[in-house]
Amino acid sequence: MPFDPDTAIGGGEARFPSTRLSLMERASAGDALSHEVLQDIVSLYWKPIYKYIRCKWNKNNEDAKDLTQEFLVRALVREFFERFDPQLASFRTYLRMAVDRFVLKIHVASLRQKRGGGVGFMSLDRERVELQALERVESPETAFEREWQRQLFELAIEDFRGCCELAGKMTQFRIFEQYDLAEGERPSYAELAELHCIPATSVTNHLAWARRTLREFVSERLRGVTSGERELRAEMRSAFRAGS
Amino acid sequence: MKALSDSVLEHLRQVVDAPDLTGTRYELEREIGRGGMGVVYAAVDRDLGRRVAIKVLDAEIGQTFAEEARLIASLEHPAIVPIYETGTLPDGRLFYAMKLVEGTRLDAYASRDLSLSERLRVVRRVGEALAFAHSRGAVHRDLKPQNIMIGGFGEVYVMDWGVEGIAGTPHFRAPEQTTAIADHRSDIYSLGAFLRFMLPARRPRALQAIAAKAMSTEPDQRYADVAAMLLDLQRFADGLPVTAFRETPWQAAVRFTSRNRVLLGLLAAYLAVRFFLYFFRRFF
Amino acid sequence: MNKLVVGLLFGAILGVLDGATAWAYPEARAGIVGILIGSTVKGMIVGVLSGWFGRKVHSTAWGIVFGAALGLFFAYLVAAMQELNGQHHYLAIMTPGFVVGAIIGFLTQRMGTPESRTQAG
Repeated sequence: MPFDPDTAIGGGEARFPSTRLSLMERASAGDALSHEVLQDIVSLYWKPIYKYIRCKWNKNNEDAKDLTQEFLVRALVREFFERFDPQLASFRTYLRMAVDRFVLKIHVASLRQKRGGGVGFMSLDRERVELQALERVESPETAFEREWQRQLFELAIEDFRGCCELAGKMTQFRIFEQYDLAEGERPSYAELAELHCIPATSVTNHLAWARRTLREFVSERLRGVTSGERELRAEMRSAFRAGS
Repeated sequence: MKALSDSVLEHLRQVVDAPDLTGTRYELEREIGRGGMGVVYAAVDRDLGRRVAIKVLDAEIGQTFAEEARLIASLEHPAIVPIYETGTLPDGRLFYAMKLVEGTRLDAYASRDLSLSERLRVVRRVGEALAFAHSRGAVHRDLKPQNIMIGGFGEVYVMDWGVEGIAGTPHFRAPEQTTAIADHRSDIYSLGAFLRFMLPARRPRALQAIAAKAMSTEPDQRYADVAAMLLDLQRFADGLPVTAFRETPWQAAVRFTSRNRVLLGLLAAYLAVRFFLYFFRRFF
Repeated sequence: MNKLVVGLLFGAILGVLDGATAWAYPEARAGIVGILIGSTVKGMIVGVLSGWFGRKVHSTAWGIVFGAALGLFFAYLVAAMQELNGQHHYLAIMTPGFVVGAIIGFLTQRMGTPESRTQAG
């Protein structure tokens, strides 16, 4: 998938894997959710919401961006996240349903405005055509899930990179980047060992360490947007479940 | 940072989740299943040259499971999948290595056209494993068809001991498990639910009653132990009245007749012969 | 209780009951004691032999067949002895004898302890 500057919202800040409080723990503390928490939510869910709106509601790039932005602004203003009840659904499901309600309301309002006028035909938007083709093979819900996984890993990788910079482990990060983030054919361990002037066994160890640490960062990102341990475990399974 | 492509994302999801078994004697082969508590992989024990199953638990579950794992590893019973080793991965997740069972999961096995006696045989084997475990102080806590395997020769294996499932089927879990610690009576509830699951569409009332008693909402109203429930199942198989079901005289007569079909048939034949000889003797 | 004893007991009981049915025939009442004794002994012999068979062969079907065959045979012997007295009651004697033998064969298969077996190896 090519880099899309329209949807780039910047990478995550570098941080060590720390014990983030869960969403509910912070909400139940009585205070409004802090800026940090809200930033966690927005950074993780902005792209999935955007992709979901494009797939499900057939919006073009600009409209989908506007709707995503408006939804999140309203959600922040109306304390939407504080009202989340983990007994009813997972946070991801809660969010997606709220997006549906929001876009439907906007859609109905826009139809009322058009009443009496002409019916709008679909423009020959190439992106829209592509999205329709995409819809035939992937549902909006699947698109949302996949984008959520992608964003989750991207943010975790950024966290991991920052951690390596601070800890002076950039060799490990580069090996990870060159192997696990490689498009197409991956270099062999021997090639990486030669490139970095280290033994092949060190390449194995560095990769193992990198993957382990990345997993911790993924877990940390999820911990900040889940309601507790049970939901965290469920979200971890969703993040790694094969075929989803 | 460049956006992750679908192929890179898939690769990351696999490698980041795969257990790092360096430092152990196991070599990972492939993932063979995912459950509510963790992921199961096939692996090779390099030292002994045999294939094993490695179950990797979620980190949070592993912490509570560690003590239970030691108890379960000491259980030796034909229907309890033996645990060979437990350990902790470098990322903190607990794993245990166990016998690799190659067979059919019970929910798939039960969908076949099985006789009632075969269904009850499986239930009894599971019950025997539970009774044995309870006698050693171990509780299963998450008995359900997905945790039972049938081997190639019909042997029954009960797996995933001691860890309460997260996303398991609620129908098999005792009501008190949501608020209190499970004990052997919770397993009895699950065994009753399992019996109900195994019964065919046309269910004998006595078996329904046994399942209902085991699944009583109040733990004190269930069977006192698994042995009592198995005894009732055996009585049903022998054509005897079961303690869980109060028969009407007609039902008792039907059961007696069913149990003694051959004898009653022979007696009826004798009476018929005597009747015939007596009333038609003038023709002989 | 082993199968031989089971056969002996049930053979005797069923033999007495079978013999007692002769009371329904006025012409047979005079010799009822002899009939009872004969029927009882016949039943006991069939019972012991069925019990022996039950210790060797564990099959309800074959037990019934064996008992019925014995019952038929011994009933034939009794009926043949009756013919010496000029009476022909083959059907009336052999048919019930056949069924009683089958019942004894069934009971000796289902009840009583089988012959103990030594473990192989």
